[in-house]
Order: sequence, then structure tokens, then C-alpha cells
Amino acid sequence: MSDPAIGVRGLVKWYTRAGHPPVRALDDVTFDVARGSIFGLLGPNGAGKTTLLRVLSTLSKPTGGQATVLGHDVAAAPLEVRRRISVVIQETAVELFLSVRDNLITFARFHGLRGSAIQPRVERVLSDFGLTSEAHRKAMDLSGGFRRRVQVAKIFLVDTPVVFLDEFSTGMDPLLKRSVMEKLRQEAERGRTIVLTTQILSEAEELCDDILILNRGKQAARGNLHTLKLLSKGVYDVTVTFDRLPPGIEADLAARQPLRMAITQNTVELTLREDEGGILPVVSAIASRGRVLRLEVGGASLEDVFVELTKNQPATTEDASSAPRGVS
Amino acid sequence: MSALAAVVYREGKIRASNALFIFWDIVYPLGYLLVFGVGMNKALGFAQLPVDYYAFFLAGVLGMAGFGIASNTAWSFFMDRDNGIFYEMLTYPISRAQYLLGKVLFNVAIGLMQAFMTVVLAAVLLGVQLRPVGFPLLAASVVVGTAGWFFFYSIFALAIRRNDAFNTVTSIFYFVLLFASSMFYPVEPLPAAFRMVARANPITWHVDVMRFATIGLGDPRWIAVEALCFGAFTVASFAGAIVMLRRQA
Repeated sequence: MSDPAIGVRGLVKWYTRAGHPPVRALDDVTFDVARGSIFGLLGPNGAGKTTLLRVLSTLSKPTGGQATVLGHDVAAAPLEVRRRISVVIQETAVELFLSVRDNLITFARFHGLRGSAIQPRVERVLSDFGLTSEAHRKAMDLSGGFRRRVQVAKIFLVDTPVVFLDEFSTGMDPLLKRSVMEKLRQEAERGRTIVLTTQILSEAEELCDDILILNRGKQAARGNLHTLKLLSKGVYDVTVTFDRLPPGIEADLAARQPLRMAITQNTVELTLREDEGGILPVVSAIASRGRVLRLEVGGASLEDVFVELTKNQPATTEDASSAPRGVS
Repeated sequence: MSALAAVVYREGKIRASNALFIFWDIVYPLGYLLVFGVGMNKALGFAQLPVDYYAFFLAGVLGMAGFGIASNTAWSFFMDRDNGIFYEMLTYPISRAQYLLGKVLFNVAIGLMQAFMTVVLAAVLLGVQLRPVGFPLLAASVVVGTAGWFFFYSIFALAIRRNDAFNTVTSIFYFVLLFASSMFYPVEPLPAAFRMVARANPITWHVDVMRFATIGLGDPRWIAVEALCFGAFTVASFAGAIVMLRRQA
């Protein structure tokens, strides 16, 4: 990749605290992020996603390795990095005592906007985020969802070439989330590089050009959606809705050792690994157990890949040596 | 420069959203001077002092005001942490030094306003004989004093994650630093051990400089030494606060 927006080489981060064993939060992480792309960081809780974002946004120094943002080293030139980024941190972050409008103006001033440049941008963002009628209200009087809306709105005020979002959609209603995702796509098309973490895999599936799955501080897999799905070749999602749940079906299905299984009322959802030729007989056998109202068989989703790569590996960061290697 | 201006703008906006806070910062030292200063002067008198007690206590009140503004400003780190904005601000395009300086600059302006009002009130209502030639030194000591104490408190506000623990620390500092100093009484008549502690107390250095600036009390050479010591204390506290800020997150 020529001249990437973000370059990470052998990044290591240990957390040490007196009286506690050291925790390896990032272990030899290496990847590049192309300019103008949307890059997703996925992983279970404690995988190291937020730690990685904190290192890249200069909130935390790496223990080893190197990370650069637009050519500037996050440890050696943090101010140069901060001049090129805007960040939505995982926790809600607003100026509680200021109005919504003043929250936006203050953020804009911090990012170097002055005088007449600020007002039109503020009005546009207020309108885009449905905040115009709330503009005069202090953030402390807003609901949690609206506070998050103000926080996310801020990054659309400025033109920093790199944007980091840590679980940006937390607390957002579905309509706003969809609108923000559309805006993020537009920002990427304008050339901004977006790096986001998410636990919502459909979000990553829909939005990200490139995905890194972290598990226990290590890279579990890396690639675009197509590449990652190849990791689960031969993995199928099967959904069967019966008129009523056949007795004993749970034990029968468990005997097939599915990667994932969920039974809700009279619907059975399974993720199975089977040969291409073997999946239809299996589905037929399941369907023959009762009167079927609905039957769906699909290829692997990102969720399947994620589950397969991170299954049976509790999200402690103490020892990441057994995480499987993916493609890159 | 624009980064500093942005921090000052932000501090001003937040402080302006709670006018009571500013009012209290400005008015409470005046009350102290009028109630405590006049009361002590009338009730006890201080025969060994070359001036009235309230003239002597004027510098103490000014020092106390700077000390209070500084601790309130440092406490705002806890508010910023609770709002989550603290960590977001650490990703803004400002250096850690600019963050600290910007935070204190607005409050230095409050300190100067408060000092001006106190000095005028002392002259008009209490007839304190002031030295106009000392006013530049007074202004400088208000600026450096407020900043120095803010940096000092910031070290603890940044190191201590719990608001209640920080409040305990500030209460201890208030008690030890204010009373083992020349803020309320002259140091010379104190017992030797007490005097030694007071002489090594940055509050004493700060208040002595302001006392010299306002009413001319003190040996100019000794005052110069105390001013230098307080300057060194401010620089060391600034360095300590930057280190603590860099260790956040």
C-alpha cells in the first residue's frame, strides 16, 4: 500500500499496575489503513480495540513498535498527529454546562476554525443531526442519546483528514445511525480516512472497506469483507421455523456440533460447517423433524467469521499466544 | 496561540455559565478582609505590628483568594473527567502545556479582577495606605501566584482519580499551608519550629511579596529571595503538572 493514512508496525501495549500482573493489551499488531477508506476494528470485549484507538489518537503511548498517522509518529510527534485527527471516544463526552451550539463552537475553535467560518458549519451540522431545536439547550438537560448525537456531530464540523470513532452508534436510534453511516461513507468519498471500532457486525459489514479482527490483543484476521468470508468457506447459516418446536430437537442439533445455535420460540438458527455437497442432506434431515413454515440457508456472514475466529477464547488479555492467524 | 485562545474561550464559557462561581471567587476574600480583618484588629490588636491588622492582613486575603481560585480551577479536572470531555480534549490539537496554561489564564484574569476590587475596598473603606509603585509587582504576584498554585493543585487533581480523596488533600493543604505561614500573622514571634516551617512554606513567600507590594512591609532583599523561590516553585509545579497530564489515559 503506497503512502497509507495509518501505518502500524509490531505495536505492543502492556498495562502495568502495582499489585496486579501485567496485562498485554496489544501484541505485535501490524497493519496499514489506506487513505480515504473506512477501516473497521472488530473483536470481543477486551480484544484491544479501544487500546489500539487510544494509541493511534495519542491518548496512550505504545510500549513497543511504531504507529504513524499521515507519516507522523504517535509517540514522537503527538501534537502533529492531533492536528490531523478528530476522535469520538467510547464514553459520552460533552461540555455539560454549555449549550449544544456552544459545544459545537468550542470544538470548532479547538480545531482552528475562526469567526465567520464557524457559524455556517455549526448551522449545517445542527440541521443534519436534528439538533436545531435543541441548539440553545445545555447539554446537561439532554438525554443520553442526544448527548451522543452532539458528540458525534462534532467530527462533521471539521475537516481533519483522519477520524477515529469508538463504538459511535452506542445510544443512537436506528434512523440517526443510518444517517450517520451514510455521512461517514460520504466523508470517506471526500478523502477522509475513517477508523471505527464496533461490536455490531452488521454495521461493519455495511460500512467498512477493510476490517481487522482483534482477539486477546493479537490480529485474528485482516482483509476486506470478501477475504474474511473466505475464512469461513463451508460455513452456512441455517434458519428453520416450525409450526411448533419438535420435541428433542435441541439435543439432535447439538449432536451436529454447530458453530452457533439459537432457539427462539419455534425458530431454530444454526451455523454449521459442512462440505458443499453435505449441507442439503443435513438441512433436509432437520426439516423432516416437523412441519416447516420457513426455511433459509445462506453463506457465511461476518458474524460467522467473527464467532469462528474468537470462539472458545475468553477475552482476557493475559496470554494471547494461541490466537489463530488469519489472512492479510 | 490559537490553541491557547481556544482553551481560554472554553474556560470562560464554562465559568460564565455559572456566574455564582465567579461571584464567590471575587467576593469571598472581600468578606474575609472586612469581617475577619476588622474583627481581629478591634478584638485583639497587634501591638508589635507597624500597621493596622487589616493592612497587614490585606496581602493574606489576596494570597488566600489566589489559592482558592487555583484549587477551584484544579478541581474542574474532576468535572471534565465526569463529563468525559477530559479525554476528548486530550485528543485536540493542543499541547499539554497549552492545555494547562489556557486553563489557568482565564482564572488569572478573575484573580486580577478580585485583587483590584480588594485593594480598592481596603483603601476606600479601611483607609489602608497603599504603595502605587508596588502595583506592578502586586499584579505580577497575583498572576504567578494563581498559576503556581493551580499547577501545584493540578498535580494532585490529575494523580488522584477520586474527587473525595482530592477534597481531603486540599483540606489538609488549606489547613497546613495557610496557618503555617505569614498569611494571618507575622512569622517572627512564632516558636522556632513553627517559624522554620512557615519560612519554607510557598504561601509565606507569595504573601510576603504581596505584602511588600501593597504596603511596603519587609526587607527588599529577603523579598527578592522569596520571589525567586516562589518562581522556582511555580516552574517546578508546572513541570510536575505536565508530567501528570502526559500520564493520563
